[in-house]
Amino acid sequence: MTTSTQQKGDFLATVSANRQIGKTFYRLTLEFTDIGAQAFAKTIPGQFAQLDLSNVALPPAEKIPAELSDKADRQILLRRPFSFCNLTTKNNKTSAEILYCVLGPATLRMTTLSAGNTIRVIGPLGNGFSVPENKKTALLVTGGMGAGPLLHLAKFLTTDFPSIIVTAFAGAKTAEDLPFKGQLDNISQNLGFSIPEFATYAIESFVATDDGSAGFTGFVTDSLEDWLNKNNPSPAETIIYSCGPEPMLAKLTQIAQNHKIDAQLSMERQMACGIGLCQSCAVECKLDNSNETVYKMCCKDGPVFDSQLVVFNL
Amino acid sequence: MNENIDISVDFAGLRLTNPVFTASGTCGYADELADFTNLNSIGGFITKSITSKPRKGNPAPRIVETDSGMLNAIGLANLGLDAFIEEKLPILEKLSPAVFVNVAGQTIDDYVTVTERLSNEEAIAGFELNISCPNVAKGGITFGTDPDQVTEITSAVKKASGQKILMVKLSPCVTDISIIAKAAVDSGADALSLINTFTAMAIDIETRKPILANRTGGLSGPAIKPIALYLVNKVYNEVTKNTNVPILGLGGIRNASDAIEFIIAGASAVAVGTANFVEPDCTAKIVEGIEKYCQQNKITNIKELIGSLEAN
Ligand SMILES: Cc1cc2nc3c(=O)[nH]c(=O)nc-3n(C[C@H](O)[C@H](O)[C@H](O)COP(=O)(O)OP(=O)(O)OC[C@H]3O[C@@H](n4cnc5c(N)ncnc54)[C@H](O)[C@@H]3O)c2cc1C
Ligand SMILES: Cc1cc2nc3c(=O)[nH]c(=O)nc-3n(C[C@H](O)[C@H](O)[C@H](O)COP(=O)(O)O)c2cc1C
Ligand code: FES
Repeated sequence: MTTSTQQKGDFLATVSANRQIGKTFYRLTLEFTDIGAQAFAKTIPGQFAQLDLSNVALPPAEKIPAELSDKADRQILLRRPFSFCNLTTKNNKTSAEILYCVLGPATLRMTTLSAGNTIRVIGPLGNGFSVPENKKTALLVTGGMGAGPLLHLAKFLTTDFPSIIVTAFAGAKTAEDLPFKGQLDNISQNLGFSIPEFATYAIESFVATDDGSAGFTGFVTDSLEDWLNKNNPSPAETIIYSCGPEPMLAKLTQIAQNHKIDAQLSMERQMACGIGLCQSCAVECKLDNSNETVYKMCCKDGPVFDSQLVVFNL
Repeated sequence: MNENIDISVDFAGLRLTNPVFTASGTCGYADELADFTNLNSIGGFITKSITSKPRKGNPAPRIVETDSGMLNAIGLANLGLDAFIEEKLPILEKLSPAVFVNVAGQTIDDYVTVTERLSNEEAIAGFELNISCPNVAKGGITFGTDPDQVTEITSAVKKASGQKILMVKLSPCVTDISIIAKAAVDSGADALSLINTFTAMAIDIETRKPILANRTGGLSGPAIKPIALYLVNKVYNEVTKNTNVPILGLGGIRNASDAIEFIIAGASAVAVGTANFVEPDCTAKIVEGIEKYCQQNKITNIKELIGSLEAN
C-alpha cells in the first residue's frame, strides 16, 4: 500500500455542487485553493478526508426521512471520514468529489450544503491503494456505498496504467441502492451491462443485486467468482481492489485466497480523530509468520489493507 | 504575545509558559500532531498512558459518538515502556512544553516500575498517575475509587518518582471526589488532575447489544463540562485552596471561554482532550484566547484569575 509523505492539513473548502443522485445518495464537490489545492491534488485513490459538519444545518423537519428523525436529534461533535470518488486539478484549484449515503445526523446535515458554503476539511489522510508491478488485470469490487474510492481508482488506473485491463463489479441490496450517476444500461439483462460511470473510463462493469432488481441476482462476490472461473486470469498478474461492507470483504478475501490473487481492501471504522491521535479505529491484523495479531489503525496504517492480513470478526 | 500580560503559571514548582495542556490519550505522543499545530505554543503535554508491557487494547468498536460527546474504550492500548523510551522519548525531548508521562498499570508494582525507569529522564517534567481509567478489567479505576488504595499507590509512586512532579488523575465516578483528592494530597501528590471520563454506555436498539465491544466506555467532550467544572471547584474549595497543590482542570474544554471557566473555578492550568480530534489546532487557539481575555479584562497576571469565583 502506498505510504505517502505528502503535506496534510486542516483546510477550508468551498462547496461547488451537491447533487442528489439516488434515493439516499448524493455527490458533493468541494473546491480547494492555494495550499489546500496543492495538498489534495496529490490525493491517492483510497485516501480520505475528515469533514467538520457540526455547524451545518439540518434539513427542515418535513424533509427528514421518518427512519432518521430520531437520529437527527443528535448533536454531532466529531468530524466524519469520507473518501473521494473523483479529483480534478485546474488553474491552481483542486475539485474533490465525494459520493455519500445519508445514514445519520452528519450525512443528513451534509445534504443541506450548497454552492458557496464553506466547511473545514482535514486531509488527505491514510495510505490509499497501490499498484504492484506486473499487474495486467485489475478487478474492482464495490458493495453498496463503497463505490466512491473505486471510482477514483478507476480513473487513476485508466490514466496512469493504460496497460492494465480494469473490470468492475458492483453489488447492492436493490437497484435503488446502487450509488451511481446516470441510468444503468439494459436493466433487464442479467450480465454484461455497464454502469455509465465506469463506461466513461472504458471499463466493463457487472451489477449484482440481492433481489435481482438489477443485473445478476445474488452477491457481487458470486458474480466475481463466476467471472474468475470463466476468464481464469493469471493470478500473479491480477489484483482485486475492494470497498464495501465487512461481510463482503471477508467473502472476497476467501475468494482471492482460493484463486491466489492479491487483494487490497479499503476498511471502515468509527473514527474520532482520523490522524492517529486516539487509537479509536482498530483493525485486527495478523502479524507476519505468526498466529499473533495486532491492532493497526485504520486512519494511519489504512484504510487500505492487504486482505491476507485482516482478521475478520463477524 | 502581549508583554504586559503574564499568562505563565507556577505549577507545583514548575514554570509553564501558559496554563494549557493536551490531555492524556488524545494527542498520542506528539509526533502525530506536528502537521496540524505548533505544540511549542502550549504549556504542557501529557502522553497516552504507558504501561510496563505493551498493550493491544480492546477490539473495535472502541468509540461511539453520543450527544455532544463520545464514549471511548481504547483499553490503554500503548507500545509499552521499552518502546516508549526508544521511539517516543526522543521526540518528546525536543518539545518546549513540560512533558508529563501518564502512567497506568494493573498492580502497584506496574506503576512503580514505569515511574522508576523514567524518573531520571531529563525530557520528563513529571508523571500523571492514571488511577481512573474506566476501560480495563484490572487496575485503573479500581485504584482510584477507594481512599485507602489511593493512599497506598500515591505514596509508592511518589517514592519512585524522584525529583519529578507527581500529579494524580482523579475519576469522577465516586461518591465524594474530595475524599479521594485529600487522600492523594496527604500521601504526596504534588498536583491533581481532574477529571477522567465517566463510565457510560450506548445501546444499539436494533440488535439490543452495547455498541462498544467493551460494553462500557468513558464519556468525554462538551457533554461533561459542567460536571467537570463543578468537581474542580469542589476540590479547590474543600481540599487544595490553602495548600500549594495545583489543579489541572479538564473535561469538555474546547475554547478559551471554557478554559477560563475552569481557571476561575480553581484550576491553575487546564487540559484539552476530545476537542483536539475536531480541531487539532485548538490548544494554540485557546492560549491566544486566554491572553486576549486577560487583556480585555485588564488582568496583568493570570494568577489573579485562579480560583477567583465570586459569591452570588
Ligand atoms: C475511511 C473511510 C471512508 C469513508 N468513505 C465514505 C464515502 O466515500 N461515502 C460515504 O457515504 N461514507 C463513507 N464513509 C462512512 C461515513 O464516514 C459514515 O457513513 C458517516 O460518518 C456517517 O455519519 P452520520 O452521522 O450520518 O451517521 P452515524 O449515525 O454516525 O452512522 C450511521 C450508521 O452508519 C454506521 N457507521 C457510521 N460510520 C461508520 C464507519 N466508519 N464504519 C462502519 N459503520 C459506520 C453507524 O454505526 C450507524 O449505523 C467512510 C468511512 C471511513 C472510515
Ligand atoms: C480516546 C480517548 C483516550 C483516552 N485515553 C486516556 C489515557 O490513556 N489515559 C488517561 O489518563 N486518560 C485518557 N483519556 C481521558 C482524557 O485524558 C480526559 O481526561 C477526558 O477525555 C476528559 O477530557 P475531554 O472532555 O477534554 O476529552 C482518554 C480520552 C479519550 C477521549
Ligand atoms: S481515528 Fe484516531 S487514531 Fe484513527
